[in-house]
Amino acid sequence: MSRNPAREDPLIRMQADLKRALGGDPKAIQWAMVIDLAKCAGCQACTMACVAENKLPPGVVYRPVIEHETGRYPHVRHQFIPRPCMQCQNPPCVKVCPVTATWKNEQGVTVVDYNRCIGCRYCLSACPYGARTSDFGEWYTEKTPELKASLVGRAVAASSYENVPASEYGKKWPERNRRGSPVGNARKCHFCVHRLTEGMLPACVTSCIGRATFFGNGKDTGSLVCELMGSPRVHRLREELGTRPAVYYLM
Amino acid sequence: MRPGAKFILIASLIGIVVGSYGMFERLAYGLNPVAFGSYVPWGLWVSFYLLFLGLSAGAFLVTTLVYVFGMKRLETLAPLSAFTVLVCLLCEGLFILLDLGTVSRAFYQFFLSPSFTSLLTWMLVLFSAMGVIYALKTYLLVRGGDRGTVKLLSWISMPVGLLFYGTNGAFFAILANRPLWNSSLTPLLFIVAALLSGGALITFLSYTFHKDKGSSACIGTATCIDLGQVLKYLLILFLALEVMQFSVGYVSAKPNLVAVLNYIAAGPSWWVFWIVHLLLGSLIPLAMLFFSGRDPKKVALAAFLIVITFVAVRYDFVVPEFSVYPLDGLQSAFVHPRLSTVYSPNLNEWLVSVWIISLGLLAFMLGVSRIPVLTQSNGGKDHE
Repeated sequence: MSRNPAREDPLIRMQADLKRALGGDPKAIQWAMVIDLAKCAGCQACTMACVAENKLPPGVVYRPVIEHETGRYPHVRHQFIPRPCMQCQNPPCVKVCPVTATWKNEQGVTVVDYNRCIGCRYCLSACPYGARTSDFGEWYTEKTPELKASLVGRAVAASSYENVPASEYGKKWPERNRRGSPVGNARKCHFCVHRLTEGMLPACVTSCIGRATFFGNGKDTGSLVCELMGSPRVHRLREELGTRPAVYYLM
Repeated sequence: MRPGAKFILIASLIGIVVGSYGMFERLAYGLNPVAFGSYVPWGLWVSFYLLFLGLSAGAFLVTTLVYVFGMKRLETLAPLSAFTVLVCLLCEGLFILLDLGTVSRAFYQFFLSPSFTSLLTWMLVLFSAMGVIYALKTYLLVRGGDRGTVKLLSWISMPVGLLFYGTNGAFFAILANRPLWNSSLTPLLFIVAALLSGGALITFLSYTFHKDKGSSACIGTATCIDLGQVLKYLLILFLALEVMQFSVGYVSAKPNLVAVLNYIAAGPSWWVFWIVHLLLGSLIPLAMLFFSGRDPKKVALAAFLIVITFVAVRYDFVVPEFSVYPLDGLQSAFVHPRLSTVYSPNLNEWLVSVWIISLGLLAFMLGVSRIPVLTQSNGGKDHE
């Protein structure tokens, strides 16, 4: 049966693209993301999906959505710019790490080894996009009252979210505590590599209500993401710094 | 023990006791109690780290002048200045160690997986080299060891020291996204800043520790005046570099750079630049060095002013750079105190700083009273 691109949900296409990529040569994969700013409604579902997926504590965010308002009333334009890690092909954060705790993996994703990071925050200073945040050991349930009610009690809230180990980088991190990693470490968006290896698209992609975020193998000319990367509307953030981001925006 | 020394000793003990609460918080809760965050990742502790980095350059200046350029008159200061550098390195190391998110890992991770593309790795290498050189030098100078070895160490310490202070500047200068730091002027500024602040510390110490010591009083006075002359020109050079930094920045009109310069000159901590650094730490000392350059007391006072206000220079180098959000609009994208560029050091940061500085002061006073860094004046013995 032939495809009907006009009616096919991009998620279905991207899922097929992902399956194809994972079934082939891993070296032929270069993950890329395209964000269509004309479609982004600024709902921040991606931000929240990312927070929930990676069990992010307060003050740590991988994908905030920046709002820009331009023009003068009545000719006003409101633009929303989701800002994941740009997964730069020439990442300034990697070369400054003194202990090789961060590097680009084979598929072009900049990853962090929480068990190596010493928390010097040099990478935070080096990132031109502010895409790295440090885990200062904050808790959403800190100083909240311990109530008996099972729905709102602190212990219940903590056990259903805060104490659940994140699955980042395909590892089961031990229960987050005051001392153990990733507390004290630099943290960043990693295109949900733990989901990709399981054949799932990143949380921000599947949660996007406007289908504004596209993801796939940038090297696969048949993929949706590769198709969009060739659009004349494509723009990359702060390209003048020579970072060569793998996140493309459709303006 | 002189009353002044007793007072400093007691003050340092009180500082350690008071600062202990901050240290307890730091060790028990990690970086949670600090005020800096992800958009201002470095704050007061990195500023103090840079201050002590500069102060350690005093010994570098003195030993280079004595053993490389042959200014024998400063030789009496060599043991004291070499010991001072060790204390400064101790404070510097503690500040940067406590600034790390996972302190314990730093002790072995640098050896297990070092990355030589990172200037932080090179800083550690050079820091260790400086520590070894100056520990040896202090030992030899205090014990009156072989002068040839001291001279050799001084020659070795010249490139190592220049690399060390320059690398610390380059550490910031290579960050292409940081408009104020990303300049080839930065490593030079660091070397001059280090020589100025370190030289000022040694000038002050030379006067303080020799003023009532009979025959050495004349030596202390003379060295203080000599060093005062060096300080005068270093201060002028440093101010000239600052003028260049500001004027080039404003004329270039790069929005982010202008925003950072505006933050320094007219931001919430404008007084740090205008009053602490420029008035108290530069113009008043400069006037004293110009008009009372032959009066050792005033030279020492000028040097003291430069030393105690130099943390303002370091603070104004580190913190304002983070005042501009990497991308416009990030400030309201996800709101949390750790995701803000508004920063001022909190009580915990001050208490930890007090603890480290008091510990350094205590180590210095005990060293001065127990190790003969002041009595040995021959700078090592010649071969017979």
